[in-house]
Amino acid sequence: MLYPLIAGVLFGLYFSLVGIGLNLVFGVMRIVNLAHGDFLMLGAFVAFGIYTAAGLDPLVGVPIAFALFCVAGLLLYWILVPRLQRARDPEMLSFILFFGFSQVIEALTTIVFGTSERSIPSRELANSLSGVRAAIFGGEATNGPFQIFGLSFPASWVVAATVSVIAIGCVYLYLYRTRLGTLTRAVMSRREEAIATGINVDRVSAAAFGIGLGLAAVAGVFAPFMFGSFTPAFGIDATVTSFVVVVLGSLGNPLGTALGGVVYGVSYMLVQTYLSSWADLLPYVLLIAILLLRPSGLLGRRVRVA
Amino acid sequence: MIGKASAALAAMMMLATQAYAADAPSEIKIGTLYASSGRYASISMPVHSAIKLWVDQKNAEGGVYVKAFDKKIPIKLVAYDDQSNTATAATLYNQLVTQDKVDLLVADSGSVLTAPAVTIARDHKMFLFDQTGTGASFFSKDNPYIALMADPVSTIWPKPVADFITHDGPGLGIKKVALLYSTNEFTGTQANAVRKFIKESGAPIEIVYDQGVPTETTNYTVIINNIQAKQPDAVIHLGYAPNDIAFLRNVQDVGVKFKMLFCIYPGLETELLEKNVGAKGLQHVFTYVPPQELEYPVNFGMKMADFRKAWDEKYKDGKIEFGFNSVAGYTTALVIEKTLSVATSLDQMELRKAVFSLSGNLKTLDGTFALDEMGGQIGELTPLGQLELNEHGHIKFVSIYPHETATGKPVYPRP
Repeated sequence: MLYPLIAGVLFGLYFSLVGIGLNLVFGVMRIVNLAHGDFLMLGAFVAFGIYTAAGLDPLVGVPIAFALFCVAGLLLYWILVPRLQRARDPEMLSFILFFGFSQVIEALTTIVFGTSERSIPSRELANSLSGVRAAIFGGEATNGPFQIFGLSFPASWVVAATVSVIAIGCVYLYLYRTRLGTLTRAVMSRREEAIATGINVDRVSAAAFGIGLGLAAVAGVFAPFMFGSFTPAFGIDATVTSFVVVVLGSLGNPLGTALGGVVYGVSYMLVQTYLSSWADLLPYVLLIAILLLRPSGLLGRRVRVA
Repeated sequence: MIGKASAALAAMMMLATQAYAADAPSEIKIGTLYASSGRYASISMPVHSAIKLWVDQKNAEGGVYVKAFDKKIPIKLVAYDDQSNTATAATLYNQLVTQDKVDLLVADSGSVLTAPAVTIARDHKMFLFDQTGTGASFFSKDNPYIALMADPVSTIWPKPVADFITHDGPGLGIKKVALLYSTNEFTGTQANAVRKFIKESGAPIEIVYDQGVPTETTNYTVIINNIQAKQPDAVIHLGYAPNDIAFLRNVQDVGVKFKMLFCIYPGLETELLEKNVGAKGLQHVFTYVPPQELEYPVNFGMKMADFRKAWDEKYKDGKIEFGFNSVAGYTTALVIEKTLSVATSLDQMELRKAVFSLSGNLKTLDGTFALDEMGGQIGELTPLGQLELNEHGHIKFVSIYPHETATGKPVYPRP
């Protein structure tokens, strides 16, 4: 019982990172980014490229992927989103637009890289930090399994979970300790009122879109280690799981996404242990359950609409 | 008098041949699907690419010889992308049959994407050239519209594995077996077969872990921990290539060393698995020995070395790995070519008759093509082998079972 619980927490923290970018984008713009998983997949290719072409620790891919996709997100925002927001039903239109975008990304990536599975050896992730690990936790300076309460877990999971916690913490600080973050929360809360008070909604939204895509790409850096391998078609499943995590936690609250991810991760590991054949159904069961029992999510606040 | 009769007969034969030729279509339409993306792309694209290679080769020679018209006719490959989606595949199979009106229907690779074709072919009375769909439910006495081209049917495929465990296992100390499989037609059938073979053997073998997981599973860490808790002497994992990659990586990541570990794809798609898992991760893994390692005697088509050369020339970019599935695709093409050279018409039941006439006689780079009465492939068997590292640290196959084809002894337990 202890093993699936710990594995679930580690796995779930990673899924918090997978979902948090989607949460930001939807929370601020009410745009359903169905291409979210595809940006994750592109992040995986960044890590793969850094490792295969330059022989660097894939962890180096974290800041590179974040910066690269933040900029790509800003550009993409100005190309797509203002036009989308002028539509009569931007939410519905965003479904179609980003679905198409997802297909284009997948097709182009397939043409360039082919369809085969790709991965990076697990021992390469954070290999440069193995000395630090040995100094803190003892043992040899290798990147072997990580011992927690005497149980063996993949070191890559611990690294991914740690980076996820740091990323979620950064998003929290951004939202609650910076001026742009305060404005972002204002837009999330009441977009029309934010416009009325003179907030530059486009600037706030562009920042959120860029950060959202950047976080998706950061999550992608760890995808080869968390999912065994990745292909250009890997994005769709990641998008579905991201939605579940976001809806579970609550929209607009990074701590909610963290909780949603952990609940998803622990549930997944428990189902794999006791009802393994049904593990695939879990995202949908959780989604239905949360929408029926607590539509605002686990950490969502009830909103009274006058 | 005899001379006149001979001349008349010859003239009649010439006229008949001309009539054949006049009726001949300008091209033979072969309809098939492939998955350029999704879960089955890695097993579908090699199969499809091998067929394309054959089509290009034959068309460069003026086409394939079609006995029904006594002439060479170019091939037109009508191929659609099902993106690994069974619903899309069903629509596209229907389109091939009803809109494109193909002469020959060839299924996509793997049981999951073959399943929709089986029903559609049967409903439309089209003979299905089933490339690698080995699921047991496809083959029945009341369905004459299917034959399996290139892989052994799943009900017999894992026999060498089960036989090794039940015959040699007790002597090695194998008493407890863990069985983990993906819940689809291909691996589900193999799991049933393993259970059946072990049970029927009467050997003192106990299956201590028997679980199915969804085919889409990408994470096995908790499952590996659960298997380890049962302390099995042998672990049999039956999944597709992405399952094997994730499973073998997770085994390495948590530092578990099972005494015996069997997986399907390290043998079938060795290049792909070595690229993703690494040679060290594959060392001592038991798997099927593919035809690339066996050099079967050939009486039709290219030999393995020639096929490999042709493949490397055509697919220089290396985006699609050469392996068991590329051999399977080429084998399908050879069966089609030979079928067209013996079938007296393109009638679907005549095609079936022609395919079955090849059983036991056609020897390709994939082994002897042999069918049972229901169309299941019972030739082209793959022995059980174990992967070891050679002196350069590269993967090599050691054939283990049956003993008559063995090239070495098993390393058990894994050091």
